[in-house]
Amino acid sequence: CSEDFLDVEPEGEPVGEEFFQTPEHALLAVNSIYGNLREWNVSAFAHLAITTIASDNAEKGSVPGDAGFMEEYDNFTLTATEGQLNGYWNGQYQAINLANQVLSNVPLISMDEALKERLLAEAKFFRAYHYFNLVRTFGGVPLRLSVPQPGQQEDPATLNLPRASREEVYAQIVQDLTEASQVLPATYPAAERGRATKGAALGMLAKVQLYQENWQEVVNLANQVEGLGYTLAEDYYSIFRIAGEHNAESIFEIEAQTIPGNCSASNSQWAEVQGVRGQFGWGFVEPTEDLVNAFEEGDERLDATILFRGETTPEGDVITEAAPNPRYNQKAYVPSFVTNECGYAKDQNIRILRFAEVLLMRAEAANELGDTQQALDDLNRVRVRAGLEPIESASQEELRQIIWHERRVELALENGDRFFDLVRQGRAAEVLQAHGKQFTPGKNELFPIPQQQIILSNGILTQNPGY
Amino acid sequence: QNTISVQGRVTDASTGQPLIGAGVVVQGTSTGTQTDANGNYTISAPADGTLAVSYLGYRNAQVPVDNRSTINIQLETDTETLQEVVVTGYGVQEKRDVTGSIASVKSEELVRQASQNPVSSLQGKVAGVNITNTGQPGASPQIRIRGTGSALGSADPLYVVDGTFVNDLSFLNPADIESIEILKDASSAAIYGVRAANGVVLVTTKRGKSGEATVNYNGFVGVQRVTNQLEMTNASEYATAVNEKNGSELLSTNLPSTDWYDQILRTAMIHNHQVTASGGSEKVTYSASAGYLNQEGIIKGNEYERITARLQTDIQISENIKVGYNGIFYNYNSDDIPGDIFYQAYVAPPVIPVFKANGRYGDPVDFPIGNFANPQASLDWFYQKSNGQRLTSNAFGEVKFLNGFTFRSSLGLNYGIDEYTNYRSRDSLTTVQFATRSLLTQRRSKSNMWLWENTLTYDKSFGNHEITALLGTSAQEDKSNYFTGSVNDVEFNSEANLYLDLGDPETYNIDAGGARGTFVSYFGRVNYSFLDRYLLTATLRYDASSNYPRGDRWEYFPSIGLGWRVIEEGFMQNQTIFDNLKLRASWGRLGNNNIPANLYRSTVSTDPRLGAIRNGVLYPGWNINTVPPATLFWEVVEEVDLGVEMGFLNNRLTVEADWYNRKTDDAIFGVTPLGFLGLGGQIRGNYATFRNRGLEFIANWSDEISTDVSYNIGFNFSRNRNEVTGVAIENAAFFNGNLPVGGYQVSITRVGDPIGSFYGYEVEGIFQNEQEVEGSAQPNASPGDFRYRDLDGNQVIDERDKTIIGNPNPGFIYGINTGFRFKGFDLQLDIQGVADVDIYNGNRNVRYGNENYDKDFFDNRWTGPGTSNSYPSADLTGRNLDPNDFYVEKGDYIRIRNLQLGYNLPTSLVKSLKMQNLRVYINAQNPVTWFDYNGFSPEVGGAPVSQGIDRNVYPLSATYNFGVNATF
Repeated sequence: CSEDFLDVEPEGEPVGEEFFQTPEHALLAVNSIYGNLREWNVSAFAHLAITTIASDNAEKGSVPGDAGFMEEYDNFTLTATEGQLNGYWNGQYQAINLANQVLSNVPLISMDEALKERLLAEAKFFRAYHYFNLVRTFGGVPLRLSVPQPGQQEDPATLNLPRASREEVYAQIVQDLTEASQVLPATYPAAERGRATKGAALGMLAKVQLYQENWQEVVNLANQVEGLGYTLAEDYYSIFRIAGEHNAESIFEIEAQTIPGNCSASNSQWAEVQGVRGQFGWGFVEPTEDLVNAFEEGDERLDATILFRGETTPEGDVITEAAPNPRYNQKAYVPSFVTNECGYAKDQNIRILRFAEVLLMRAEAANELGDTQQALDDLNRVRVRAGLEPIESASQEELRQIIWHERRVELALENGDRFFDLVRQGRAAEVLQAHGKQFTPGKNELFPIPQQQIILSNGILTQNPGY
Repeated sequence: QNTISVQGRVTDASTGQPLIGAGVVVQGTSTGTQTDANGNYTISAPADGTLAVSYLGYRNAQVPVDNRSTINIQLETDTETLQEVVVTGYGVQEKRDVTGSIASVKSEELVRQASQNPVSSLQGKVAGVNITNTGQPGASPQIRIRGTGSALGSADPLYVVDGTFVNDLSFLNPADIESIEILKDASSAAIYGVRAANGVVLVTTKRGKSGEATVNYNGFVGVQRVTNQLEMTNASEYATAVNEKNGSELLSTNLPSTDWYDQILRTAMIHNHQVTASGGSEKVTYSASAGYLNQEGIIKGNEYERITARLQTDIQISENIKVGYNGIFYNYNSDDIPGDIFYQAYVAPPVIPVFKANGRYGDPVDFPIGNFANPQASLDWFYQKSNGQRLTSNAFGEVKFLNGFTFRSSLGLNYGIDEYTNYRSRDSLTTVQFATRSLLTQRRSKSNMWLWENTLTYDKSFGNHEITALLGTSAQEDKSNYFTGSVNDVEFNSEANLYLDLGDPETYNIDAGGARGTFVSYFGRVNYSFLDRYLLTATLRYDASSNYPRGDRWEYFPSIGLGWRVIEEGFMQNQTIFDNLKLRASWGRLGNNNIPANLYRSTVSTDPRLGAIRNGVLYPGWNINTVPPATLFWEVVEEVDLGVEMGFLNNRLTVEADWYNRKTDDAIFGVTPLGFLGLGGQIRGNYATFRNRGLEFIANWSDEISTDVSYNIGFNFSRNRNEVTGVAIENAAFFNGNLPVGGYQVSITRVGDPIGSFYGYEVEGIFQNEQEVEGSAQPNASPGDFRYRDLDGNQVIDERDKTIIGNPNPGFIYGINTGFRFKGFDLQLDIQGVADVDIYNGNRNVRYGNENYDKDFFDNRWTGPGTSNSYPSADLTGRNLDPNDFYVEKGDYIRIRNLQLGYNLPTSLVKSLKMQNLRVYINAQNPVTWFDYNGFSPEVGGAPVSQGIDRNVYPLSATYNFGVNATF
């Protein structure tokens, strides 16, 4: 009897062995993967620094000296010990672990098979999404596809994987997205809005193929996405407002919302860190003059993308003349009438993929394949919506440059592909050095593997060249 | 031989009070008896024999029978320390018979301190016990006995109050305490096996004595002031530094200046009163007390109020049966302050005014320097009241039977509630301190514990043999839970409105949790002494705890202690140097049960942060966030202690020295998993071995020059060396001590170095100019930046160049305690200090942007070639914020702990006032502390693996009191 007296269950905390038993558990576990997308490590400083501040689209922003480590991304003086970088690594792998938990455990749950297959497909979509972030940032990374089993940590060395090659990582991403796209539904009922769809998997796969220059795959996938019924929204500005969430061209968004009374779940800081300093948010990510000048005369997107000091927004907010920076990211702007009881802009969804980008991917791929007409058609759908004249004709090389440029202005400051695009296009050194950055070719195309991880791996993880 | 019946009474020689339970034996035989409740005895003895009479705390007496049939015997109180009685856990022992290392602090010492927490009164009093005090009213100091022996488990000792286990002593009024014993070595502490790994603090509260009732009043009133206030830059200096840092004229250098420490600090009042009544008949004794403490914090608005009440009763039901009860009730109320207010005041730029001309709070938006909280606005806006009640009680029954057996059963019950109400009003104070909806948060936590213990004691002398044997069982359950609720939009018209159901139901939010633990133990102990000179203590405890899994939860904890009172040997009879000489040696094993809960179970995180949002609705997200170890064993401490006790010059000089070696095996230790496992935090299991090795030395001199003049001087000193001696996983190092900027980790726990050592770069100097930068290992540095030592010489400064840069584990602690008495006057001076310890100046190091600078930094900063080769420029950004030894400073300090002058009014005057005794005193507590550290206080503390990092410490204040102690 004394043994029974000594068996004490954890109080107020479910135990692991009792989890992953019921269909509800499967749903709860998948929810975590979505929740993780809002986390600081995944969506805030490091994400913005890597994708946008490092590029020619934005500077660090805020006031001098504030979060000085962000300057290291801006100037390419970054070293492997910078802490946000380690957070970014951990955040992506946390997501991969959450996906692996679902993929390892949910198959054993007895439940509706169709729902089970869909949940597994959602997990695969996100595992691929996060590996895609990792491979673009760090190159080949350890490819972990299952959860650690109890007791395994007795010898963490057995879990100490070396880096897989870039190709192996891409192969896994392609496999996961392909499998996900075969199962995920094209749409969900309104209450399920925000889940990964077939379009999201196909569109993401198109982008993955674009990075690997598998042009025909890109065209095929873009065609499939278009076949699902996506169209461009009429008004570019409204895409980025709260009312414009999940519009006709939206393919995937990270859901964020002020949950009344639950500020710890209202935790997306993507927009907060970019809001006008002193008026709304922290004021990071200052759009560059170079980006302003990139917009053609009459491009409606300039005003929708950049919030100028002193301007009055369509919603009637006057951006203070006292703001420390001349420009802010308008795609992260949330009007002042929206609640800020959990902090500024907790309601702003992060737009990850929309149909305009799919069109530009197809344009780029078609041009590479020599299908100029398809390229021009897709390009011009995007240009005309922005109030610009269509491009009538161009050489393949001219068109390549035009499409790259169009990608820049259409997607500027959004989900931040600019730095990765420049690397992918093989002109990062050229463009960024011209922009005055200390970009070292052969080194700065990748970010350093966080030193903390190299130490923990006992040197099994190797550093990227130049760091 | 003629045997006659002898009867008589044993009394205290000075008071005439009967001594109950005194031992009377016929010398050289096993015939013996004990005095009854009136002090009477009857015994058969040879007419020419001798009676030996003994009573704890009194000198033994040998009285020849001389054919008398009535012999009344008076015993003299034994004032010599050698005969001191110490509490050993489930029993008491004369100090001379103790084979382990036990320190004892008596009530007189504690009361002299005029402090609010009994633990803080021990600072500097006991060798081997390091106490880190805090100035926060109501908070408990941190205590470490013989170093830090646990990484993730608690390194706090076990507290036992009158036999009941408690978590801290903040509920006790020091005036209620009779004595505090600290069981330092494994052999003394082994009787508490499972819980004793970090030492044991035994508290015995006052018990009534039969005789006339006495009423005692003890009270003081005083003021508290901060000492060693840290000087920060003023507005003009700050503007100079910020402009230098940013390379532009951001700020005018003639702005009005705010000293934020002056703004939030104050001189605070304290008063404390305690009334105790005690007395009793032969059958029933009692002690009852009530106390009231009111202490303002040195931060404006901070206040703590404590009420304590205690009732203790012993009833001698019959000659053999005794029952007793002891209950301590405690109630506190507190007006709280924002937890980070000291940090806020450190960083807040002095150019921000407290208030603007328009009456609004000074706002960082008016200056181009970043976001800072206005500390005054924080204080004014913060509304949090907390309160709690606790009942700590214990009831026992005791039966004596046969000859020398005592059976005792005791039941301890603790019950406590703590709650707070926090209200954040809908307000807009500054651009960074605002809320668009009010938020009411209430938390209530409850704990209850029962402890049932049974002991059987056998106490007997046979000729030259004296034996005390103890057998016991113990069972315990601890349970606690909490509930936190919050809601928006409650209107605050009065405190009567602060109910959660008055808010917007849409915004209800609940957090709840709990913990439960159970323990079962069997234990035994034998104390044996032969010829009064060979001493043996052997203990065995067999323990189980619910914190460990089935199969691994039962463990034996044995110990043995040996003592040799050399002074009793024949060959010592003719020497004149020693009045006492005793050698002792002990060995024992102890367990640490105080480890993080549920280590061996995998648990599920239900953190709302990982909920999915769909169409504006939150859906909970769950996931498994831990991987438990395959096995989990006891964290076991094994300790060897060698000691010597000496007395010289008629025992006026006593010296005690101990050497110990204390090893923690299978310590629960966290290994940071590789990031790609996707597990946050640490993987925890029995992965480490620690060692604490040290020396303790105590010398006391006391002398009575005449009946009017006496004095005593005590000195204690201890040295401790901490080292991580093993880690189960090869090369594993455990990083901790996170600094929020950039996620830097300052502390490392790894083999060969002390727990929680500081880890970072060595600063070689400061780059003076561009030429020095060029070709250095830091090509991106600017003049004025730190030049780090390139330890591996590869021309790159990275993680491989980091090394141990400091040790937060104190190497030396010491205390000097003195007392002088001249007629009615007494003077007491206590000094205490810590040496050979490092502090990490986290306040200086943690910078997001334009935080304020301390004056020392400003005055010494690099401002151009040749200005400094140790302090960097004001541009503390980027790699200048990497952990490095510039931020590591000596934490050594020496402090006047207590200075007290008292006066006992003359007996004639006191008697005429119908009083027994009246003493008045003035007292200065902590009036002066000397240290070099560039912070508020060198007492930093912290968890074992991240200790000594100074961020936001509530410093100790100097207190000046006037007090009265009156007995009626």
